[in-house]
Amino acid sequence: MNIFSTSQYLIGRGIPEEILILLLMLPIVATIIAFARQVIGIKGFDIYTPLIITFAFLLTGLRYGLILFALILVVGTISRLIVKKFRLLYLPRMAIILTSVSTIVLLSFYLNNYFNLIKFNIPSVFIVLAMVALIEKFIVIQIERGIRGSILLAVEITILSIISFYVISWGWLENIVLTYPLLIIALTVAINLFLGKWTGLRLTEYFRFKDVIKNVELPGKK
Amino acid sequence: MWNYLEKSKYVLGLNARNLTYLRPSNTSRAIRIADNKLLAKRILRKAGLPVLETYGIISNPKELKEFNWDSLPASFVLKPNRGLGGEGITIVYGKKKKYPYPWVRADKRTVEVEDLKSHISNILEGTFSLTGLPDVAFFEERVKLIKVLKPYSFRGIPDIRIIVYNSVPVMAEMRLPTQESGGKANLHLGGVGTGIDMGTGITTTAIQRDRIIEYAPTKTKPLLRGIQIPNWKEVLRLAVHAQEVTKIGFFGVDIAIDRDKGPMILELNVRPGLSIQIANLTPLKDRLQRIKGLKVKTVSKGVKIAQDLFGGEIEEEVEEISGKKVIGINEPIEILDADGKKHLITAKIDTGAYRTTICKTIASKLEINNIIAHKQVRGALGSEERPIIDISFVMDKRLVDSEAFIADRSEMKYDIIIGRRDLKRFLVDPAKNVFMKRKHKNI
Repeated sequence: MNIFSTSQYLIGRGIPEEILILLLMLPIVATIIAFARQVIGIKGFDIYTPLIITFAFLLTGLRYGLILFALILVVGTISRLIVKKFRLLYLPRMAIILTSVSTIVLLSFYLNNYFNLIKFNIPSVFIVLAMVALIEKFIVIQIERGIRGSILLAVEITILSIISFYVISWGWLENIVLTYPLLIIALTVAINLFLGKWTGLRLTEYFRFKDVIKNVELPGKK
Repeated sequence: MWNYLEKSKYVLGLNARNLTYLRPSNTSRAIRIADNKLLAKRILRKAGLPVLETYGIISNPKELKEFNWDSLPASFVLKPNRGLGGEGITIVYGKKKKYPYPWVRADKRTVEVEDLKSHISNILEGTFSLTGLPDVAFFEERVKLIKVLKPYSFRGIPDIRIIVYNSVPVMAEMRLPTQESGGKANLHLGGVGTGIDMGTGITTTAIQRDRIIEYAPTKTKPLLRGIQIPNWKEVLRLAVHAQEVTKIGFFGVDIAIDRDKGPMILELNVRPGLSIQIANLTPLKDRLQRIKGLKVKTVSKGVKIAQDLFGGEIEEEVEEISGKKVIGINEPIEILDADGKKHLITAKIDTGAYRTTICKTIASKLEINNIIAHKQVRGALGSEERPIIDISFVMDKRLVDSEAFIADRSEMKYDIIIGRRDLKRFLVDPAKNVFMKRKHKNI
């Protein structure tokens, strides 16, 4: 079939297979995130953050990715609480927080290599950069929802990213994506059209509104 | 399990709120109005609705330089227009009489003009706005807390959130600031929300962080159930008016009650939170669907529909606890005639009389005028002997077997009055049936 040759053709034209897979996996991960929001009810705030974290996990490995992510969050939060006292304008304030996060990340890389703790290669500068930059989003969430809400959110996003991570690194799916790239694209669009019109309760809402639901009187029961 | 799923269809979730109600009901113009505090206020004020007074707006450093500080009253609130989560708000309660005439805050700290200036430049530069974009600062009137609500709230001002759809107030909730929420009335920050019976304006269930609680988390821990919201009908009218003026088809309006000025509109919100359903233990989707497509012509009509359709929660609760039916002063009853057929008639409930009295003509028409005894009664016009008959009637779905006087009541407004003797299984609420012609359950 010529569908199969779509991938072959692109690879033949000098597009690296890895890039091709990543770009085709992106809509799948995006769909998982959309599903998690609309049907399951994971709050999240945008599609970008879990996406970046998922790909970061993919490039650094799950374990080190998690450690790095946790480190960035903790350092970011602590430095925010310290900087808050100075009552600075937003951008300079954020710049200081980013500075402290990148310094600590750098320091931890250095210490790790110095003591030879874990074998850790940094495959892409950009992915580390993207993760550091994510701290801005989390700070905004902290201001909006308080520490408690933002921790809950971080946990939710992490779980979501781990699930997405396992989906992308699934060999079978990789094959499917390479074999039927157009089908995957059509399918994700179709699923998202459905999700975009979904007005049912989210899974978490069944739990959140349990007291209300128990109180509903069905019309036939009178 | 199946039942649970069936029941859950009546609850409004975030997906349905956004897709079914927010978008189709609200134009982007409407959403823009609701999202801009100052703009919404201007539109509402123009229509003559009570909003908090704006003492001054400062939108750039030049205006800050030229601002007349003497124009400010002793008590005001300073706010950023696009402030987030209440950050950057300064409240002052009074002014000192000695030079340099500083204002005083709740915690007795003083605020001078120089302090205000530096705070406002921070607002203008966007320190308190989420995006860091330049913002506008404005001075606003401070709402004075009414005494009734004082024991329930911590520092801030409680407000009443009413969801209005298609010119009908659909559900209401009182939001109380707590210590946990930092004196702000936002539920997601830990404020308390109490459901409100739409008919009477009395609070029902209360929640904090989506869990049901009984007592306010303040020092005296008063019961949250059964608080009467003052000026309830006016609050409802205001909510519908706000919709009429702004033409926002679906929104939540926040109304505070000022000690001197009464109900005032604080803010409009096109994405009202959904915990209001938990606070009322009532699903919202069901109510919205019942309102959809109704042609509501006047404000009073909208308020009346809300009270008739969605009121009565308090009454149901009372009936459940006491085992007695709650009836009003004028109650529709069905009298059984000689053949056992029911005849609908409006009766007057009269707790001043012992025995029920029915009009002679009605009794003979129904062929129940079979006199079984006579009894002496002393009325305003002296002593009189009245005949007694057997009578059976159904009041609020309960059958009452009794003996009643017959008398000539042709000059009276009601053909039958129900006396104490027949009211032992009922509670009389004089406020009921004043606006409700029929019981809400029948609609």
